[in-house]
Amino acid sequence: MSQIKDQMPALIMGGSLLIYGLIAKTGAMLPMAKYLGTHKTMDLQVTLTLIVGCIALVGAIVSTTRKSGTSNIDIFVLRPLAGIVFILVLAMVIRWYAEPLMKITSVALQPLLGFKIYKVLNLNYVVLGILVGVVLTNTWGIPKFAAEGVKCARFVLKMGVIMLGAKYSLAELAKLGAYSVLLVGFFVLGTVFLVLWLGNLFKQPKSMTGVLAAGMGVCGVSATVAVAPVVKAKAAEMAYTIGTILSFGIICMFVFPTIGHLANMTPVQFGAWAGTGILNSAQVAAAALAFNSVDIETLKVAEIFNITRVLFLPIIVLVLATWFGKETGQKLTFKSVVIDKFPVFIIGFLLLFFLSSMGVFSPASHYKGKYIDVSYSERTQVTPEGLESLNSAMAANEFSGLTPKQLEAVTDLVKQYQIAGNFADRNDKKVFEQVGRARMAELEGVLAAAKGKQLTLSADVKEALKHAVKQVHKESRTVVALTDFMIWFFAFGLIGLGMQITKKSITQAGGWPIVIGIIAGVTKATLSFFVVLWLIKDVVLN
Amino acid sequence: MFSHVLLCTHGTEGAKKAEALVFAKLQNAPNLKVSVLTVLDEDWRDMTGDDWLNSSKTHTTFLDHVENQMNEEIAEEWQRIKTSYPLAERANFLQSTGNIAKTITRTAKKLGCDLIVIGPWCKPKKFSIHSTRLGLRDTMKNKNLHPLLPCPLLIAS
Repeated sequence: MSQIKDQMPALIMGGSLLIYGLIAKTGAMLPMAKYLGTHKTMDLQVTLTLIVGCIALVGAIVSTTRKSGTSNIDIFVLRPLAGIVFILVLAMVIRWYAEPLMKITSVALQPLLGFKIYKVLNLNYVVLGILVGVVLTNTWGIPKFAAEGVKCARFVLKMGVIMLGAKYSLAELAKLGAYSVLLVGFFVLGTVFLVLWLGNLFKQPKSMTGVLAAGMGVCGVSATVAVAPVVKAKAAEMAYTIGTILSFGIICMFVFPTIGHLANMTPVQFGAWAGTGILNSAQVAAAALAFNSVDIETLKVAEIFNITRVLFLPIIVLVLATWFGKETGQKLTFKSVVIDKFPVFIIGFLLLFFLSSMGVFSPASHYKGKYIDVSYSERTQVTPEGLESLNSAMAANEFSGLTPKQLEAVTDLVKQYQIAGNFADRNDKKVFEQVGRARMAELEGVLAAAKGKQLTLSADVKEALKHAVKQVHKESRTVVALTDFMIWFFAFGLIGLGMQITKKSITQAGGWPIVIGIIAGVTKATLSFFVVLWLIKDVVLN
Repeated sequence: MFSHVLLCTHGTEGAKKAEALVFAKLQNAPNLKVSVLTVLDEDWRDMTGDDWLNSSKTHTTFLDHVENQMNEEIAEEWQRIKTSYPLAERANFLQSTGNIAKTITRTAKKLGCDLIVIGPWCKPKKFSIHSTRLGLRDTMKNKNLHPLLPCPLLIAS
């Protein structure tokens, strides 16, 4: 009986998801989805809710029929299952309801406030997910049944980064890698030495300065966790440092994307800046997705910078261990300092990158550009800026020289935000794809005419059309599927990590670490902003 | 009047007032049994915040380090009490991790204490560069403790 009671949350969630999926399948929710602007995701909503609902129910039923033990299936599947389903439900609610409602409310409030809240605060599903996690953990607390599942967030986020490996070409990785080593190397070492110098200036203990230097210089809390045992940091020093880093990081998560948009940074510039200037690596991913969640270009750049600075972590640990060990006479082995700290998931990332580069995911018949994907996907949409340009051009009658078919393709692009077939034909895949491909061909014709000076279009409009055409050219179905999974993995991981940011760990910021931290953090963020704008000008990703 | 007192301290200024009160009373009550309890707030387990890059081994090493540090700091606190109050040698020193209010009341019940003594609540100083109190600023609101009390509570001031 008590086992059924324990599994009740999973049973309720699983049952509710199944009911939701079945109702959605009938089309009864289409009017509401159209109002929210999520009607293009209805197929995904049905599939996901039915799959997750079934898994939750099966898992809960299995758990009620057997005694929980210490087997791998208990530890890794059955016990965390309810928590995993809980986070997935949150992710679905946020993506399909909270984010669209936030946009609708922001638009409604615009005449009163003079600005759109969701745009200023970048309240997309990623930021909302983290906020929901933080609010939940600091108010009602994480439900007991979900505690084991929340712990999976770290693993899931690592899986997301591993999958991201399949998205890079050798040229991109080489180009971004060179920039990241240069920038991260300079700013990591610069900040570490700045903090050490400030610590010495303010006569602070070496253990405190060491742990703060790693946190501010490399990758926030992760570096603090790795370095604290090496420099024998005191409990209060760790508490102050982690509090300082978390508070600073959360502020950066909101401020960076807004500044990036105001400064008209390109995705590459913003990714590089976030990857260099934001302390915590989870917040780098969040800021990158907050800056641009439509396609994942910014995330691709930010994660390369993230990975580069993580690779710097063992080096910094070694430097600080040597610096600290000299005074204390403490002996540290190469294994305990470098090998044990090496982030193993990066090997997974590189493996996916090599497999992708070898063409494992893209058969020979799928050379780049051959596979056209006109199905509904957020990543295939035009950017909000592009849509604005197209709308303005429509209003200004800029498309008057287009043929009727070309005009229909542009009009549909504005209506659907992406190249696709008709919504009414979405169940007839063949017709849907044919219409989508025909529209793509018409838009390519528009671009060709503009290039041949037969048409006059503004640069912004040409850019928006080029972007729309580029977005439907995919490398392979496998990579598209991997990317779809990856986006959900990031959403899941960031909600779970939000649940691990407690009010207490943030408000413990204080002592000298907050003074030194603010000086070092603001200096690093400001300098890296200007260096990125100056250095990264013409990097364009495929 | 009382036979077994549970003195709760974590070395803050308020807790020191409780220590002074209990050990002053102990001088005049040779049969009074005193247990000194230091509670390590369970929130220490969340110290790793949103770190996701490190391996589980690095996490474990860090949490072991935190635990060792806390143990060392608590041991230093107890030594300070023993040095300040020679009568403290007679006391029984205990350490426990958990929710502060629940741990205090659970321990009092388990030991059969008939009085719990704590220091007054102090508003934590925020963003003070000179405040380097031990570990987390473990404070507990009395309203969380009162409903759970198994015996009278004395707040030293």
